[in-house]
Order: sequence, then C-alpha cells, then structure tokens
Amino acid sequence: MRPAKLLRVAKWEVTKNAGGVDRKTVVVMVLAVLAMGSVAAVAASGSGPGLNADIYRVGVEESNPYYDVVEDDPSFRAQAPDREAFERGEQDLTFYGPNRLSRPQTEKQAAALEALRTSTESYNDRTMARESNQTAAFPVSVTLVYQEQGGSSALDTRTDGSANGSGDATAGDRNDSDGTASGNGTATDDGATPAGGSGGDGGGGGDGGDGGGGDAGESTGDGETAGGGGGANLGGIGARLTGDVDSGTPSDISPPFPFESLVLAFLYIVPMNFVIQAYGSSMLSERLNRRGELLLVTPASRVDIIGGKTLPYFLGAMGVATAITALLRFSGIAPSGSLIAVAAVLPIAMLFLAATFCGAMFARSFKELTFVTVTVTVTLTSYAFVPAIFTDVTPIALISPLTLVVMDLTGRSIALGEFAFSTLPPLFTALVLFGLGAGLYREEDMFTQRSIPLKVLDALAGQIKGRKSALKMSAILIPFVIVAELGAVAFLFVLDSVSLNVFGTNQSLGIVLVLGVVALVEELGKSLHLYAGYANARYERGLRSAIGLGALSGLGFFIAEKGLLIVRLSDLESLPIGDAAVQGATPPAGVPLWAVALLFLFAPLALHAVTAAISSVGAQRGRLAYVAGVGVAVVVHFAYNLTVVSSLA
Amino acid sequence: MIDARDLRKEYGDFVAVEGSTFSVDRGEVFGVIGPNGAGKTTTLKMLAGLLEPTAGTAEIAGLDTETTEMRQQLGFLPEESPLYEEMTPISYLQFFADLYDVPGDVAKQRMHETLDELQLEHKERKLGDMSKGMKRKVAIARSLINDPDVLIYDEPASGLDPLTTNYVIEFTEQLAKDGKTIVFSAHNLFHVESICDRVAIMNEGQIVARGDLEELQAEYGETRYHVYTTVEVPDAVRENGNFRTEVESMDAVEETRTAAEDAGGQVVDIRTEESSLEEVFLNVAEAGTRGTRYVGEDGE
Repeated sequence: MRPAKLLRVAKWEVTKNAGGVDRKTVVVMVLAVLAMGSVAAVAASGSGPGLNADIYRVGVEESNPYYDVVEDDPSFRAQAPDREAFERGEQDLTFYGPNRLSRPQTEKQAAALEALRTSTESYNDRTMARESNQTAAFPVSVTLVYQEQGGSSALDTRTDGSANGSGDATAGDRNDSDGTASGNGTATDDGATPAGGSGGDGGGGGDGGDGGGGDAGESTGDGETAGGGGGANLGGIGARLTGDVDSGTPSDISPPFPFESLVLAFLYIVPMNFVIQAYGSSMLSERLNRRGELLLVTPASRVDIIGGKTLPYFLGAMGVATAITALLRFSGIAPSGSLIAVAAVLPIAMLFLAATFCGAMFARSFKELTFVTVTVTVTLTSYAFVPAIFTDVTPIALISPLTLVVMDLTGRSIALGEFAFSTLPPLFTALVLFGLGAGLYREEDMFTQRSIPLKVLDALAGQIKGRKSALKMSAILIPFVIVAELGAVAFLFVLDSVSLNVFGTNQSLGIVLVLGVVALVEELGKSLHLYAGYANARYERGLRSAIGLGALSGLGFFIAEKGLLIVRLSDLESLPIGDAAVQGATPPAGVPLWAVALLFLFAPLALHAVTAAISSVGAQRGRLAYVAGVGVAVVVHFAYNLTVVSSLA
Repeated sequence: MIDARDLRKEYGDFVAVEGSTFSVDRGEVFGVIGPNGAGKTTTLKMLAGLLEPTAGTAEIAGLDTETTEMRQQLGFLPEESPLYEEMTPISYLQFFADLYDVPGDVAKQRMHETLDELQLEHKERKLGDMSKGMKRKVAIARSLINDPDVLIYDEPASGLDPLTTNYVIEFTEQLAKDGKTIVFSAHNLFHVESICDRVAIMNEGQIVARGDLEELQAEYGETRYHVYTTVEVPDAVRENGNFRTEVESMDAVEETRTAAEDAGGQVVDIRTEESSLEEVFLNVAEAGTRGTRYVGEDGE
C-alpha cells in the first residue's frame, strides 16, 4: 500500500463528482439536511409544537388555582371567563372563582374536563417534585423489582429502583413488577386539585393499590435506569417510556421499555444507509463498461484503489457519527457523549462499507446492487439495532457496538473487555469482507457477468492457493461465524423462556434454535470455501482428497474457533442461551481435566473434522450433493451440540 | 524490450491463449492480428499485467509485467476505454499523472502538448459531452501521460469515423517514429500493414504465423503478374487500348509473351501485384492451426 496514491485516489473520489451537482441542488440538499436535523433535534428533545396545542379554551381568572395548570399545558388556551361563550360552545370550561360553571354539555367539554384533570395531576407532580423536603412531598417509598414473568432466568437485575409517592400505594403489583411500599402517606383525592390549591372536583379516596391513584411519585434508579444521572434526556415521552420518571404516581412507573436506546441507535444507523448507497454506486460504476480497468494498469495497487475509494465514505460515516455525538452532547440531550461513542461506531461503519463493497463486486447491475444494498441494510441494521435497543435489559445487548454508543451517551461506564467484545467481531468481519471483495478487484473478475452466488464462490476461490488453503479459509471465515452466532443469540434469546421437550432434553426453544443456527453457520463456514474450490477447479476431485480437505478445514476451524473466547469479555455466558451458543469455547468450573480435554479439545476437533469431511465429500460431487452433505453435517453437529448442552446442564 | 514466452490463459475449461511466444525489439511496432476470439486482447492484457497468465511469462524491459515498476513504463489503451465522464480532460489527465508520479509542472506541460498534438479542443468540457473520437484522443493522451517506453494499443481506432481513424493511425505512426515500442492490434489490416514492422497472426488462441510483413507475404501470399499486350491472347481482357492478362508465375508470363508474338503483337508492360496482409491473413486462417510458422526468425 502506498499512502500517497491511496490519498490521491481518495481525493479523486471526492472531487470527480464535484462538478456534477449544480449549486442550486447543493443549496437544496443542505437546507433539507438542516431541516431534517432540526426536526430530529426537536423531536429528540421532546419540545416543539404539538398537534394538541390550544385545542381547549378555558375561561379562568389569574387568581384561580387552575390558571397555572392551564397556562402550563399547551393543549389549553386561557381566556377570561365568559358564560355566554360557554353556552355558545366557544369556551370548553369556564371557572368563576374557584368553581366550574356547570357540567359539560358537549363531548368536547367533557374531554376538556378530563384533560384538565390529567394535566392537574401532572402539574401537582411537578410542583411536589420541586419541593425541597422530598420526604414531606412524597411520604411513601416504593421499591420496584422487575422480574421476568414465569422465566427461568432473571435477565433484569434492576432491583434498587425506588419510588416515593403520596397516597396509600401499597405493593405496586402492576404488570410484571412487584413493588413494596412503606410510609404513612395519606390518601388525598384523585389528584384533580392543583397542589396548594383548594379542592376542586376531587373527592375519591386513594387507590394506590392498583398503582393508579397516588398523586405523586418519584422513581430513582440504581444507576442502571436508562437516562439516569448524566444520561440522555429525550423528553417526557422518552422518560415515561423508559421508566426514567422524575415524578409521578405509581401508574407512571413503567417497566423499562428501551425507547431511549431505540432512538439513539436509530440516530446512528440511519445515516449509514445513505453513505453505503453512494459508496455502492461508486464501486459498481467502476465495474460497468470497464471504467475501472485503466486504474488497474497504473502503478496504484488494488489496496490503494479500494482504500482510496473507500476512505471518503468511511470518513463521511465517522464524521456524521461524530457530529451526532457532538450535537447530543452540546445540546444537553446526552451530555456524557464522548469519543467512545464515536469509536464504537467505527466497526459498524466498516461493516456496512465492507458488506456494500462486496455487494458491489458481486452485483451485475444497479438493479442487482439495489437488491444487495437493501439486503445489507436490513441485515446489518438488524444486527446493530436489535441488540442495542435492549441496552437496559441484558448483556446480550453488548453484541451490538451500538450498545456501547447508547451506554456512553447515557453516562454508563464501559469496560475495555466489553468494548472489545462488541467491536472486534464486526471489525474482523469487515476486514475479511474487504479481503474477499479485493480478491475480485482484478480484470478477470471485475468485469465478468456472473450471477451473485457464482461471484461469492469466485471470491472464496480466489483466496485458495492449494490444499492448505482449506485450513486457512476456515480460520479466515471465523469472524463471520462469530457474528452470525452472536446475531442468532440476540434474536433468539427472547425465546429462552419457552420450554421445549426435544428428545427429552427439556431445553428452551431459544436454546434449541440457537444450537440449530450454530450448527448450520459453522458447517457452512467450514465447507462453503471447499465447494468454491471444487467449483473453480482449485481442488482435485476424489473421495480421499475430499476427506483430507474436510479434515484440514475442520482443523482450521477448531483452532480459530478459540476466537470465541472473546465471549469471556462479556457476560454472555451468564445466560443459558449465550452459554449454549458458545459452549465450545470455555469449560465450566469444576470439571475434571480429562473431561475438559475430551469435551473441549478432542471431541470438538473430531466433530469439526468429521462434519467438514461429510460436506467436502458432497461438495466434490456437485451442488446437490453438497447441499445434502451439509444437511447431514448439520444434523450430526446439532445432535452433538444438544448432547453436550444437555450433559453440561 | 518485450518478451513473451509460452503464455497461456485458461478460463475454467476454456483455453483463451495457448503457447503464445514472441518478442518485440525497442522501437519496433508489432502487430497482433486475428479474427474475433483469436486471443489478441487476452494476449495484450497479459502483457499489460492486467491478466495473470495461467502459465508462461511476460516481461517488459526485463521486468515482470505484474510489477509496479513495469507499469510505470507502460502506456495501455484498451479497445474500449470508457472515461470518467463527469471529469474534464485536464482533470482526468491530471489524476492519472498523479498516479504515475509525474511532477505537476511536467504533467501540465505534457498534457497540454499532447492534447494540442491530438488537436483536441474544449479541454474544459466534460468528457461525457464529447464525441467518441474526442474521447479516444483523451484516452490516447492518457496512455502517454507518463511518457512510457512501451505502448500497448488494442484496436486504437475501433469504432471511429474514417477521418479520426486516419488521424489516430498517423499519430500512432508518429509515436513509433519517436522511438516508442508499440504492440498494436487491429481488425483493419490495412492499418497494421501501414505501420507495423512485424506481425503475429493469431487464431483460436494460438499464434499461427509470425514474422515481418514481406516475408509473411512471400510465405503465405501470392504474386500476380499483369501482362499487357498489343494483341489479344487467351484469357486477356481489353484495358486502355491494350490487352491485360493476369497470370501467377513467370513461366505463365513467358507463355503469354510467346502467344502475343505468335499473334503478331508484343508485350508492352508487365506489372506485379503482391497479396495484401488481408489475403495473407485469410490464407493463414484457412491453413488453420497446423503449427506456428516463424517466418524470417530464428525459430524461437
């Protein structure tokens, strides 16, 4: 690689289209981006005009205790009380002194009254929350313990949250939360009287038992609550959804829906999809009409060309991530956002670009490229997004580097091991993808019109130099295997609580499915390159040769599989499904040495060698035989995994 | 300057080029001709380092064709050279000059000189707005931006109008006179005949004949004699007041002269006509791949 040439290609990639867009278009684009950013910022901050603004007109004097409530709620517009206006329906509520004029006459007036009650409750909550003596303001203390319903494992360890609220709220048994309450609060009314004001429509007794009656409350997390401390502030909606409620009744305290994580992850993922569209188009255009052929005869190497063409898009993606982080930090939405968040985005950006690069090398037309980029977008967004939205729930979230971003933005500390666990698998996968794609970045592969599956085989076969490549290729593909397996764990862990009686093992559905996915992914990882080698005449066909190549592939996989030890950097093994997925990586404590040697060295080695040989024998006979061979290998592998997991259990 | 030995290129089971061996001296113009699918382009791309030979070796100036150093000395013009149409000729040439590490001032002077020589106007116009002929000129200028010693031109006049074609051929001829070593392929054998010192005729992936043009013509061509007589003889046609008889050997010429004298006339002119390269090519193609004939060479 020659940095000067790489940078020259990068500069060219940036400038070659410079004259292709006129100034008006640039201005429109900039304005559009600014508008989108503004809308996003407003939405994220929870402020801005709402659809409900000024929909109820309330006649109320400034001396009336409801006046502040009405003024504080944008859905109301305060007016001078006017009896005639009320009768004409031009005022929805009218107060003379402390008293309301009459019962609601219309549906809208009834809705206005209900809205005023709700708004008054919130107003009271906020007022009480500002009291310096919180014990006096909220004399009831509620401890919330979130537990999984009927589950075999406690995924959520949030145990120290507490809520204080007036009213006689007892046990906050609501949905999946158990609560205990202590204190001597006195039930007041239904919360319809503004704090400090005289009673209005209130009249009922407290109804804290169902969590619906206390008039104020506050929950404080133990540090794990999303957005706690220096965390992100996504406004009232986000706080309510995440359970990060500053004040409120027990009804305001919700199980932790990861709204905040979802929004933050979304912010970082969306721009990636735009970047890869441009990148994929640029890469594919080099292949169409042989445009890139002339670059290949220059002294610039393939690495220079690919690196140079990729660099601007990589920097663009990282620049956007940096800008988002800075915006969140300096706008106060996520004051704890730091370079860690930006660094965590790096492997995601690399993975998006690498997958798109490979896709652009495989596609024959822009139509195919569209299909490829959509596939890349959906797959990688799912991989990055789904685990990240469970940031508050389980260590499985660490599978996605976006979780690190969310953790950083919400002010939680990140251990180096967690960082490595989240970032290394996608980073290595990206590097392997770039390597495979680069293998096709040559005259005889770039411009050929072969179908995508054949191109994939070409990419694999391009790395095969001899029989020893069988060992090398299995090792090289390990990052794919790890990422796929971690992805499967992330998607399937929600099924961990569903029991399934498979061959009398009584494993959970999630574990059974994960074991199946693991077997399939690993067998493909060991055998696909063998099939590519046979299909491209890199290997000699024959039974003995096939068995030998399979054994080599299995050996390579077995050695590289130890890369799964990276899971030790996370808490993944604490979950049954995570432990099942990586059961070949680490022996449990207390197992005798001979058993460790048997279960974690010889048996896996034999398994991988045998199953790879089965696939290899099929591969050397053709496509259908390969599919059949892989099928048999997967069944053998699955049976082995299930046996091991059941035995260890 | 160029040395190719036993070049072979396979695509799966298909052999595109087999046993291709030839050498080109410094300053020589070497033509590669053959029908479509003969393996000309594959051979040239192996020389340019674009394709890795399945077997055999190719060297330019003693350097392996896959080395960066070799590429520094090479100017390659593929048959189709779509340009980056969003760029201007100047920005396009500047980019390639940078990749070849041509100093800025030298590159600037060279690109303007070359474009002037090629009579290319509108240097600031986008390449996408240019005619095919103008684009081809830019492509040629690009192949010269690094002032290479060796030029490999694959069908440089392909698809151009006659006027531009002649201009491109003349320009290539001038490059040869300037001392460039050129390997040149073309469908139009007239062009090859007009500028090449030696040619290799390829068919079905093999070089079936190789040598300088005169010797190839002597080996595969025919010499026809046009005998003009004052009187009519057998097979004669009337032409400009005389009678012309076309024969293929000196013995036949003698027989025609005797016949004319017997009829009371005489021979007034005898003209010879050599086979064109096209006829030589057709004869070689008809002969098939019965083995390479190295005419006038030392049987490499």
